[in-house]
Amino acid sequence: MRIPHKIDLHMHSSVSDGSDSPAQLLDRVKEVGLQLFALTDHDAIKGCVTMLELLREGDPAFLPGAEFSCRDEKGKYHILGYGYDPRAESIRQLVETGHGMRMRKLRARLDFLRERFGVSFPEEELRWLMAQDNPGKPHIGNLMVKYGYARSKEQAIKEYINQLHIRSDFLRPEQAIAGILGAGGIPVLAHPSYGDGDQLILGEEMDQRLRWLMERGLQGVEAYYSGFTGKLNREMLDFAQRYGLYVTAGSDYHGKNKMIALGDTGLEDAAEGPEGLRRFLDQVRKEQPC
Amino acid sequence: MTIKLNGRIDSNNASAVEQSVLKQIEQGDKTSLVLDAAELEYISSAGLRVLLRIRKTNPAMRIVNVSPEVYEILDMTGFTEMMTVEKAYRVVSIEGCEEIGRGANGKLYRIDQDNVVKVYKNADALQDIQHEREMAKMALILGIPTAISYDVVKVGDSYGSVFELLNARSFAKILAREPEKMDWCVKEFVGMLKKIHGTLVPAGKLPDMKETALNWANFTKDYLPEEAGEKLLAMIREVPHDDHMIHGDYHTRNLELQNDEVLLIDMDTLAVGHPIFELGSMYNSFIGFSERDHEVIKKFQGFDYEIGATFFHKALAAYLGTSSETKIREVENKARIVGYTRLIRRTIRRYGLEDPERRADVEHWKASLLELLAETDTLLFNANELELDAVPENLQELQSFVEEHLEAADCPARAEMQIGVAVEEIFVNIASYAYAPETGKTKIRVEVSEEPVTVTITFLDHGVPYDPLAKADPNTKLPAEKRQIGGLGVFLTKKLMDDVSYEYRGGQNILTLKKKLG
Repeated sequence: MRIPHKIDLHMHSSVSDGSDSPAQLLDRVKEVGLQLFALTDHDAIKGCVTMLELLREGDPAFLPGAEFSCRDEKGKYHILGYGYDPRAESIRQLVETGHGMRMRKLRARLDFLRERFGVSFPEEELRWLMAQDNPGKPHIGNLMVKYGYARSKEQAIKEYINQLHIRSDFLRPEQAIAGILGAGGIPVLAHPSYGDGDQLILGEEMDQRLRWLMERGLQGVEAYYSGFTGKLNREMLDFAQRYGLYVTAGSDYHGKNKMIALGDTGLEDAAEGPEGLRRFLDQVRKEQPC
Repeated sequence: MTIKLNGRIDSNNASAVEQSVLKQIEQGDKTSLVLDAAELEYISSAGLRVLLRIRKTNPAMRIVNVSPEVYEILDMTGFTEMMTVEKAYRVVSIEGCEEIGRGANGKLYRIDQDNVVKVYKNADALQDIQHEREMAKMALILGIPTAISYDVVKVGDSYGSVFELLNARSFAKILAREPEKMDWCVKEFVGMLKKIHGTLVPAGKLPDMKETALNWANFTKDYLPEEAGEKLLAMIREVPHDDHMIHGDYHTRNLELQNDEVLLIDMDTLAVGHPIFELGSMYNSFIGFSERDHEVIKKFQGFDYEIGATFFHKALAAYLGTSSETKIREVENKARIVGYTRLIRRTIRRYGLEDPERRADVEHWKASLLELLAETDTLLFNANELELDAVPENLQELQSFVEEHLEAADCPARAEMQIGVAVEEIFVNIASYAYAPETGKTKIRVEVSEEPVTVTITFLDHGVPYDPLAKADPNTKLPAEKRQIGGLGVFLTKKLMDDVSYEYRGGQNILTLKKKLG
């Protein structure tokens, strides 16, 4: 693999909550001219397995990835795993645990909606829902719109689905990190400043969070992110340099489900990127045959 | 186009808000986008990402009326660095507040014990406020103590800027209530003035007062006889460019005493230029405006005309470092030329000449201006130079002038006495012979140079060419009855000074005395 210039290491397919199938995603990746990309579905690696089968000679370099939603007494985190062996037991176990938790949550939500608001869907929709790898709030919300229970997905989530506060099990960050490491992968904290996606963690708080996760085996931070300002990017690069962490760059592309452009990571040219990114690229090149 | 944001923007509604905004942009006019955040209570990181994406297609986007809470989030995350974010202005009421000052652009009210607000006259004053703030910041950096506004607020339909001013009293108020503090006020007032005039301003940072004065003169000259108008213009043109600071509106309402500290306020008129332009404006503030109607200064400064006139006179004396009335009058007359030029323009432009009272004002100032123009050839002045009639009665004034300069240079008493003797001898000589039997003027310059500290005193007169040094020294060994009359004064001078030289140049006798100190 040559040193790539255009990279995007954070995107979702329809295996989780993106709108593009892995094949469509590969087309989009080629369209925008990415030279290295990673697919990072929520708690799922099935899309990566599919992607590996789709790839042909001359296609952009690909890195299997995943994004795990984690939680512990200190907070919520999204942890990315890169370059793992998809056949490894530890990553399969991790996905299964995560998937199982999601499924239990889905059933709890559907029960709640039925009992509290009388929301019910036809049998075939429920079967479709269960067949999804990672059905979540948006999937239920879309169904509620389709069957006239809500005007919009947002309204469905806010006024109905979120009325249930699930105290369900969560993956703990050390579980996710161990599962990734066990499969030869690299654990990286996704959009660090934004926590699990909707928080704002800066300065001292960020410092403590990073040290907490590093003690548990975290190796990198997604310092380039489509939703970051220059200031947030600089802060994360400083942390990465201080602690010798890997640096990655991702857009969090979701196809039509979020208005994020594929390849929009805030990093112009990966070959000109910081030392932490170069080390990351060297590391995954060594381990990746493709 | 303006799009209103309201309530909360978080992960629950972020994409709905985004779609709604993008739709409005698509349908709206294509002018630059303004997001009005007056009703926006909270924005989460999902909301921030929406702003970031909207900006990607609208790089000139601005966010206005941002609450302090939302502003803090935008600031922490670096949004304020990458797009224009304007805070919502706090609303302040001045009902029942004491008016403590009034300037060219607005009024100053005390809103509580520690804070004052300057309310600007024009409704669209944001630029003025910004300008004044920058001026004040620069002055502070250059070492001038001043108050800097820390907040911009809305006062009714106007804008105001808020300053911290604890227990401050203006010098005008002090003079009005405690006239016995006059001398102290003069000292502090002049100390600050010298500090301002001693401050070198980096080129291009402040407007050039000479340009402004030329504008005044170009206007006023049309109301003067042609020759006088041309002379006025030529005199202003002759003033050299000067990069030292001038305040532009320096009077006792713009100087505040806060605890023991003297603060300069009202910084929007800062400029660079020759001090004569400052002195011109000062003359107007204390005297010029009120020459015909003595009530004017009472309304403006709160003290009587006599107090204003005395204050100006004392301030000018202290500024020039002399008690010489001749010197003070010379500089005052130059300041009046600048002052009247400005007053005539200001009055005609503001009120026209219809009103007989205004016209009488203008006629009065014009008469004085013409008189001064006839007897003045330059606006430049040198505090080290005194020109007076070469008559024996002026010896005392001349002696005082020289002494004041020597004292300012820490001249030892013995040298001061010796110089005094020499100055007397030379001046009496000029007074007696240079213009006899007529009288004429002589000019004395006192200069102090360093290493070794040397005082140089130069006498210049336009009398008959005469070299007092050409005469042989008198023979002091002879008994008194055989000595020649006269000549002893010059001999004494040569003995007391380290160097005495004479030349006749440009129609002038130039006699130079040098004395090394210490």
